[in-house]
Amino acid sequence: MPSLRSIRGRIKSVKNTRQITKAMEMVASAKMRKAQMRVRDTRPYAEKILELMVRLSAIESHRPNIFFKARPVTTVGIILVSTDRGLCGPINANVFRQVNKFMADRPGVRFEFVVIGKKGQDFVRRSGLKAVGSISGVKDRGKIEEILPATQVAIEEFQEGRWDEVWVFFTEFVSTLSQKPRMEKLLPIGPDVVEGGGKGASPFLGEYLYEPDTTEILDVLIPRYFESIVFQRVMENFASEYSARMMAMRNATSNAKEVIYQMTLIYNKLRQAAITREISEIASGADAVQQG
Amino acid sequence: MSFMLTLVTQERELISEEVDFVKANGVDGEFGVLTGHSPFISLLDPGELVVRKGDALYSYYVSGGVAEVLPKSVIILANTVERADEIDEQMAKRARHNAEEALKQPISEIERRTYLLELKRESVRLSIVARRRSTRHPGQISEE
Repeated sequence: MPSLRSIRGRIKSVKNTRQITKAMEMVASAKMRKAQMRVRDTRPYAEKILELMVRLSAIESHRPNIFFKARPVTTVGIILVSTDRGLCGPINANVFRQVNKFMADRPGVRFEFVVIGKKGQDFVRRSGLKAVGSISGVKDRGKIEEILPATQVAIEEFQEGRWDEVWVFFTEFVSTLSQKPRMEKLLPIGPDVVEGGGKGASPFLGEYLYEPDTTEILDVLIPRYFESIVFQRVMENFASEYSARMMAMRNATSNAKEVIYQMTLIYNKLRQAAITREISEIASGADAVQQG
Repeated sequence: MSFMLTLVTQERELISEEVDFVKANGVDGEFGVLTGHSPFISLLDPGELVVRKGDALYSYYVSGGVAEVLPKSVIILANTVERADEIDEQMAKRARHNAEEALKQPISEIERRTYLLELKRESVRLSIVARRRSTRHPGQISEE
């Protein structure tokens, strides 16, 4: 039987934990609301530029542009978007599982990573994979500049032929209760880029007039396309992180409540038992005195 | 006859609705678009974007980007956009003044070019502000 004192101590510590998880839940939910808005704000651009690139790739596929041309795949570059902090449910683990499955499905192919987020860095190091670049401490304020170092490395690797494909892995924000791990092929750009990516795009297959000319426009558009999609995916990941953390912390808080309830019950029973025992001891003592 | 105009930046969506006319500043000069325009893609220079919907005119400052024109839609992927009423006139004036001052000094060619660009940007901003004050620009489409 635990002593009264030790139970009192444990109740106190669980109460502290509950306070912490409650605070984290509230912080996450405030951040979540903003992050969800940012997801909503950044989706249209990503969608539009994706549609445009898919249209262009159909028109331009006959031209020798390495960004549109599929080539034999020996090395795949993966941009892995993860969170910096833990305590956010299973979202990182789910993405990592998807990465592992992706690699297992492609035997004989080499994989190299550009990692965003500390958790992803840990994963890559633990699994003995090769990272050519990584950034962490990205803020959730919705500024694209912060992720540019990562996208520049990736696009360079592809441009110089070291990577034959570039994929991005991240957690898509579906709703507060649901976040899905997802993978998308970003380069080379083709009709197969991003499942359902061309949806709603008018299937325009004529020639455009270009101002000033095709090469110059593509030189501007391709890096923009790449950056904005990755940026948008990072925003998705933030919204997912905060939503998952909020839910995880809410569960932790209600668990703590349950534990406190159970322990208080035990504590009260023990206290009752102790009081009863004391009374009966006093009573029997008094009896002994009277009789004697 | 109206067509679908989408004006987006990486950070937000400003317009997504049916309009009648758009005028933008391409790298090879200004162009206007009505419904049924032949398809083209153009890079944009810093300049004013004018949108007409019914009788109302709306104007935006666009710092650059890409416009895709299709017969029934126009998509503008802008780098940054300011609505006419978001432009800070005082700041634009100060920036223009600074650029003018800097250009009077003996400076390197690269610096000169940056300041010229700056000067151009601020002049566009200020002309948008001036026009907005003088004519029938009611301000903002779909005030959110």
